[in-house]
Parts: sequence; C-alpha cells; structure tokens
Amino acid sequence: MRPLDGVKVLDFTHVLAGPFATRTLADMGADVVKVGTAERSGSNAPGTPYYLMWNRNKRSLALDVSTDGGRAICRRLCETADVVIDNFSAGVLDRWGVGYAATQAANPGVIYVQMSGMGGDGPWSKFVTYAPTIHALAGLTRLTGVPGREDIGMGFSYNDHQAGLHAAVAVLAALAARRRTGRGQRVDLSQFEVGVNLLGPALLDYFVNGRAAAPTGNKLPYDLAAPHGCFPCAGAASAAIADERWVAIACMTDAHWQGLRRAMGDPEWARAAAFSNAARRAAAADELERRVAAWTRGLAAEEVMARCQREGAPAGVVQTGVDLAERDPQLAHADFLMEFADPHPNVGRTFADRLPIRFECTPCDRYERVRDIGEDNAAVLSDWLGMDADAVQRGERDGTFR
Amino acid sequence: MADSAGPLSGVRIVDFTDERAIYGAKLLADLGADVVRPEPLEGDPLRRRGPHVEADGGGSLWHAFFASSRRFFAVDPQAAQGAAQLERLVNRADIVLACDGAFGVAEAGLSEALEHRPELVVVEVSSFGADGPWRSYLAPDLVAGALGGAVATTGDADTPPLKAFGELNFMVSGAYAAIAALAALHCARETGVGQRVHVSVHECIASCLEQVFMWYWYQHNIAVARGPVLERRGSRHWTNAYEVMAADNGSVMVTPAPDFDVQLAWLLEHGVGAALLDPALQAPENRSELIARMMEVLREWVATQDAEAVFHGAQAKHLPYGLVSGVEEVADNPQLAAREWWAEYLGLSAPHARGPGAPYHFGETPWALGRYGDIEADTAALLQEIGWEGAA
Repeated sequence: MRPLDGVKVLDFTHVLAGPFATRTLADMGADVVKVGTAERSGSNAPGTPYYLMWNRNKRSLALDVSTDGGRAICRRLCETADVVIDNFSAGVLDRWGVGYAATQAANPGVIYVQMSGMGGDGPWSKFVTYAPTIHALAGLTRLTGVPGREDIGMGFSYNDHQAGLHAAVAVLAALAARRRTGRGQRVDLSQFEVGVNLLGPALLDYFVNGRAAAPTGNKLPYDLAAPHGCFPCAGAASAAIADERWVAIACMTDAHWQGLRRAMGDPEWARAAAFSNAARRAAAADELERRVAAWTRGLAAEEVMARCQREGAPAGVVQTGVDLAERDPQLAHADFLMEFADPHPNVGRTFADRLPIRFECTPCDRYERVRDIGEDNAAVLSDWLGMDADAVQRGERDGTFR
Repeated sequence: MADSAGPLSGVRIVDFTDERAIYGAKLLADLGADVVRPEPLEGDPLRRRGPHVEADGGGSLWHAFFASSRRFFAVDPQAAQGAAQLERLVNRADIVLACDGAFGVAEAGLSEALEHRPELVVVEVSSFGADGPWRSYLAPDLVAGALGGAVATTGDADTPPLKAFGELNFMVSGAYAAIAALAALHCARETGVGQRVHVSVHECIASCLEQVFMWYWYQHNIAVARGPVLERRGSRHWTNAYEVMAADNGSVMVTPAPDFDVQLAWLLEHGVGAALLDPALQAPENRSELIARMMEVLREWVATQDAEAVFHGAQAKHLPYGLVSGVEEVADNPQLAAREWWAEYLGLSAPHARGPGAPYHFGETPWALGRYGDIEADTAALLQEIGWEGAA
C-alpha cells in the first residue's frame, strides 16, 4: 500500500515543472497516466535524458488529440480522472474540448490544475516562460549573485522544481477539500507567482520599510553571521572550474564560532577582540573570511568538514554531481540513487533519485522505469475506460493511439 | 486559521518546525488548516530573524512571512504542566510537523501519541535523515545547499560557488514536508492508518537539481556535455541557449529557444543575423554551433536595445525572454497587479503591510492569509480549547 493508491491523475504536462509535480504524485502511488505523442521533440522527446529524469513511475498513453477520435477518448479519460493537470499556456486544453468547464460538467469531482507560466488571466497570461524567464522576472536572478552583477542567478531551474512541488501540494489540498465538500475544483497555479512568493521576507521589507534587497553573495542579507561563505580547498584534480574543491562554513552563533576556532587549532588571530561576537565578526567579515580561507586552502574539503563538524561548527563540502553520486556516504546509506533493473527498450540503462520522503507504514519503494510513448496503451485504456484489446489495436492502427 | 474556507479547513496541525520546514507549515496554514505553533515563554528564536519592521524597532518580517496564518502558544515544556499542555495539543491534532531537535519536540510525547492514536500523522524533518553517518551534522541553509549540490551549480568563474538569495534550500524541504503531511493525511483518511514520516533535507535538495544528475548519468547522450560535472558559469543554462545579457539600460534573460526560426526571423527584421542563414548552420547536426553563433549575435544586438522593449518584443513573438527585475520592479509588476495578487499582512506592528499572496488559486475553497497571531490571546484561547484548568 502506498499513500496515494487509487488516485487517478491524467497528466498533460511537459518539460520539467509539470512532470516533476506528477512524478512526485506517482512516487507516492498515484496512477499517473502521461498523455503523449511520439511526435514530441526537444526536451519533451521520449528517450532524451531530460525526459528520462522526470517521468518515472508513470504509465504512458499515446493519444493523437488532433483527431476527432483522439479528442473523444481524451474527454472520456478526463471524465474518469480524479486529477487533470497541465502546464500549457492558457487555453490549450479548451481547444481540445477538455477545458475546465466541459470537464467539470461531466466530472464534478475533478481536480483540475493548470500550472501555466503566468496564470490563467491578466495581461501577461499568454507569455511563454521557462524557469530562467521566471527567475529573471521574479527577482531571483538579480538577487542571487554578488554586488554589481546581474548576470549570475541560479545555476539550475530551481523554480521549475518549486512549481512542481507547489502543484503537488495543491492537488493534495484539493483532495482533502473534496473529501469534505464532495466537489472538485479548478486550481490556477502561476509559476511566476510561486517564484515571487519565494522572496517573501525581502518583499515585506520593501513594502514595509521601503528597502530594496540587493545581492549579498554568500552573506546573509539580514542577519549577523560570520564567517558565512564558501572557502577554497586543496585537492583539485585539475585547473578546471568543475574540479575546484570548496567547503561551505556557516557560523550562525557564537558557539559555532568557538567550534570553528577549535577546528582551526585556536590560532592567535582568532582570539582577537574584533572577532569576539557576531556583530564584530560581521563588521570584520572580509578580514575574517580571508583568514579562514588561508586555513582551508591547505586542506581537503572533506577534512575541513569533518574537523568543523566534530567541533560543532556547521561546514559542508560544496558537492558536485560526482560527489553526490560517488562520495556522499549519507546518500549511499539511504540508497538514494538507483539504477532501474528493467532496461529501457530504447535507451538501455536508466537511473533515478528516490523520493526524499520515507513513510513508515506505506513505504514508497516501487520504482518503475520511464515508459516508451504508448507502451501502456492497452493497460491504461482497459483500466480507465474498460476498453478491450481489439478496440485498442484498432485505435493503434488508425492512429488514434500514437 | 481556526475558521477558514480554505481547502484544509478543519485540519488541525501542531507546528514544531524550525527553519528547515517552517515553510511547509506556512503552506498548510495559508491553505486554511488550524496550525498551532508552540514557542518558548521568552519567544520563538525565529522572531529574531531579519528583516524587521524598522519604524518602531518592531517585529520580524521574516517571522511574519514564515509563521503566517498560525496561532501561537507560549509554553514551558520543561515544566510538567507545559509538557502536559503540549500533549493535549498533539492529542487533538491530525498532523504534527516537527524538526528534530526543535523546540518542544522531545517533550510532546509524539511516540506515545502515535501508539494511542493510530490515525495521527507525524512528519519528522531532519537535516540528513533518521540515521546514517552524517545524522548529527549541523547544516544551516548554506551548508545544506552545499552538501545537497545546489551551491556548486551557482556562481561564475570569478566568484566562489554561491548560495541563492534567501532561504531557498529550506523552502524545498518545507514544500516536501507539506507534501508528506498531506499525502499521509490522505492515506489516514482513506484507510485509518496514520504514521510517522521522515523527510531528509539533504535528499530534498539533491532531488531538485535539474541537470546535475542528468549530467552525471547521461553525459554521453548530451551533445553539450564535456564531462560528468557542469561547471558554474553565471547565468548560462546547461543547453547554452539561455543567458542574461546586458541591454542598453538593464539586463534581459535572452533565449532563442524553443523556436530558433522565429528568433532568427526577428533578428533579420532588425537587420542583424544574416550570417545565421548559412545553410550549414541550419543542419540539425550543427544545432550547437547555431546556438553559439546566435547567442553571439544576440549579445551584440541586445546591448544596443532598451531592456523592457526587448523583453516585450520577444514575448510578442512567443520567445520566453525575461526582464531581469529587482524587488522594485516585482512590486510594480502589472501581471501581479492585474491578478490582485498581493496580500495584506494583518496584525503586524506596521500598518498596511503588503506581501506575497497565493502561490495557487483554488476556485471553490480560496487560499487566504490569516491574521498574524497574537501570542497572549492565542495562548489563552488554546488553553480553553484544550480544557486546561485555570484558563482565563
């Protein structure tokens, strides 16, 4: 038994944000049917590494919604689903005849989640967005960096993940509401609004105090904490940036600083009055961090982390993908990364990172590889619509299910 | 909120979180659950987090945001009656959200509550999981982001690896905590089986890294990959097709994706980019070279343009450009204004405080921000609700 056993999700999502939402639901046992077509290209093309990352544990139905037959099947599936979810720009599902009004009329219990870039209305509702667009517009790019630079921002599509997680929250909350009211509802999720929300305290600071946040590098924007940064370490395999070794150290309290002093062997300079409390350390942070860097530079990042943690100072290796996959003993202990036992028919070996949630009574330990487009046509159409094998084969021959 | 029309109306939650999962409690509270947050008699240490209301040396805006829509409960869990009060709160809850080592967790009798009330859901968030070699490691947001893999992706060749602004690593673990709570609640209501659920911050962060594991596992299937690790390199996306470029009066996130033909046609309209028509560049096997050359042309062209005009011009062509915006521009954003998105934060020491609104809009059971709690009034009301003798 898994927590979401029995929940039927019809998944029209693509790229990352939407598929990440439905991947999370699928990992917890929901029957997620991903509606696709073999004609997809780019990041949505089946078998590309990107597609492989976000679509495990789902079943795949090939459906050509450009045909009358395909759209009729689509409507029947929507009438059966607990959840219909898409991340198209506003209006696409309406054109297929499965917009919210039509679907809700036939299926009053449906939870219909539209996670468009900008939301279902407003002057920018037709804007096209990917995570870098949202990061820029929401303030995340401007604020993540160092003073004087606007061209850094986050190095990965963070907001896509957060939009997916928020969509999963919305689905689960709507399920709870349906249990109470007996009715489903539409959820309009704007990925832009998710991104803006992430800067909550900075926005309150602007509205209340009139103070506009600025990038602070690795320093905390509002709190006194020093040293608080990333420090170079020994052991780089080459001069390439990807091979550099760094450790993060974050002294949030005087106790952390005392721990760091012990880890460093309590050098004379660290006993100076200039570093004796948080306010003084913050005021002298540049000098302090230069001295800490001089210490870390001669040591392996793992050694700095171990010495600091042993003495009660928060420190951690700045881990790359290779570190996470090959050297991280905690992830190895949790068996966090895995290879699917069942090879993908077109790709061969494929891999997954597990759901970071452990349910004691309903463990989510079933991981099934990403399916080829239409690989589950017969099973899905039988389970959801009671369609027999002959009808499925006819549809595959006439192009409805491809 | 004690009474709400939100989707989680009627769900009772006790919030024993710290920074690692307080965002999850916020998500649930703003969705209408009745969330009670116990705090020490001397005050929640998170009330010291900046920024603060400046005018009167007032309250923490950090706390107002992350502890929104909650009721606060002042308690001394070391005293017998305080521990008993916490147990009563837990015993009427549907969900307990807790971080290991956080205030009140040890004294709240969670294991006993799980034994006596099999339908109860207890979500325990820890930095590294319930066991393992790093179980006792300390990891504030920066360190958690470093170990989780986020920090290594961000920054540029001439900067150290960088954390994202704010609390974004812990907002990932917070969101996962909310998901864990609601999925377990769904299961409990379907089956009667509640349970303890563990959430590892470390794994949460590692699960949200877009290209990082893809690069490691599938580097040989990625045309632009040159090894198992993509170095930090400013704003340039792993596809090489998204990058922040300087305009005449600002910066714009520019991309010719997903429709390179539309982008090329738009450049040609402006009299630039004719060299990109070279048939050799149009061949599918030369896509990487086309992108590189197109980005060069765009860098030169965007540098001469008005940032806002480029942004709107691109979006008119369905090209997903983004204007690099600061807090002031976000506050004035016309899309947010048209959707009446900003919310009033009532109950703060500052009047008319506006802040972020709903990250999702429910058609039937609307999201609503509750009034910021008043610890004295909330505590008195809660003592009555739990039937504590001597309550006012």
